[in-house]
Amino acid sequence: MILRKSLFALVVALSAAPVVAQDYVVTVHGIVCSFCAQGVVKKVSKLPFVDRSAYTNGVKVEIENQKVTVAVREDSALDTLSLFAAIESGGYSPIEVWKVSETGELTAYQP
Amino acid sequence: MRAVARALLLLLSSQVVAHQPVMDMAPRWEGGYGIQTRVERFDSRTTTWLEGVYTLRPSTRVTFKLPYVDDELRNVIIGVPLKKYTNRGAFTSNWSVTPSVQFPTADEGEWDVGLSISYSASTPSSYKLYDLYVWNDRVGLDINVGIHPVHNNSTNSGLFAIWDVSMLASSDGDRVQTGPVLMFYWQNVMARLEYKALVYERDSNWSGGYFGFGIGAVF
Repeated sequence: MILRKSLFALVVALSAAPVVAQDYVVTVHGIVCSFCAQGVVKKVSKLPFVDRSAYTNGVKVEIENQKVTVAVREDSALDTLSLFAAIESGGYSPIEVWKVSETGELTAYQP
Repeated sequence: MRAVARALLLLLSSQVVAHQPVMDMAPRWEGGYGIQTRVERFDSRTTTWLEGVYTLRPSTRVTFKLPYVDDELRNVIIGVPLKKYTNRGAFTSNWSVTPSVQFPTADEGEWDVGLSISYSASTPSSYKLYDLYVWNDRVGLDINVGIHPVHNNSTNSGLFAIWDVSMLASSDGDRVQTGPVLMFYWQNVMARLEYKALVYERDSNWSGGYFGFGIGAVF
């Protein structure tokens, strides 16, 4: 009985556990002003695979190093083509994508 | 006669600033739009501008400018900034050609046309804009050079500190004004505060400084 209750509690806990997002970093040329680049956040955050609970609607812009971090839902896959199209419609030039490891290291992402 | 000449000059001066870009920095994203109001005080006269912008795509915008002077709406000006952007590392720039048309929406208003050619460039720490314009018999050059000393990525807020030089030559006289501009932004809202002193004047009958305040938002 105790074992069944424990298993039930474990299943409930696992099913209620938050979905962990996967971060990707995009190098974007021309991003030098966050006021000017808010279109990138608007466009990228509307993509279906973006986890809008992270950062600002799932997107973080760093103007010092021209990086845009995108949180991707655990149950989704990054669509590089639509991500690049969204950034271009925001007025900037996406160059390359990096996957962020759990330790924070960046590795080049090849879809 | 002098009063008529002064009134004409004031009317012209309200048109002179019409070339200035509506929010040059934003919105540069497809489908973005913005609205702002600017209040200018110079020569004992206050002009309020209502301005809007819509970005069809990063290379093409449509703007409108509607001045309000002495309880009277003046002529609306529609512009179509056509931009060519270059993004390279920590640098972005654009060349812009803006044809404008003034519609005679005011009492006794007149049609008019203008053309502006501008170049702006930004890095994370600097901003500059050069704008050469022709409007009727007036030719002007505006130069904005500034720094971006404060910004916060997480709150999308910051400050630009810019120095402005405005030069105008026309059959009604010539002048040069210069002074500081502070531009604050917080998320999608920006405010602009500026003062320009008259440092050169020939036959324009201008006196005193120029004070301007504007606030707007982009979406």
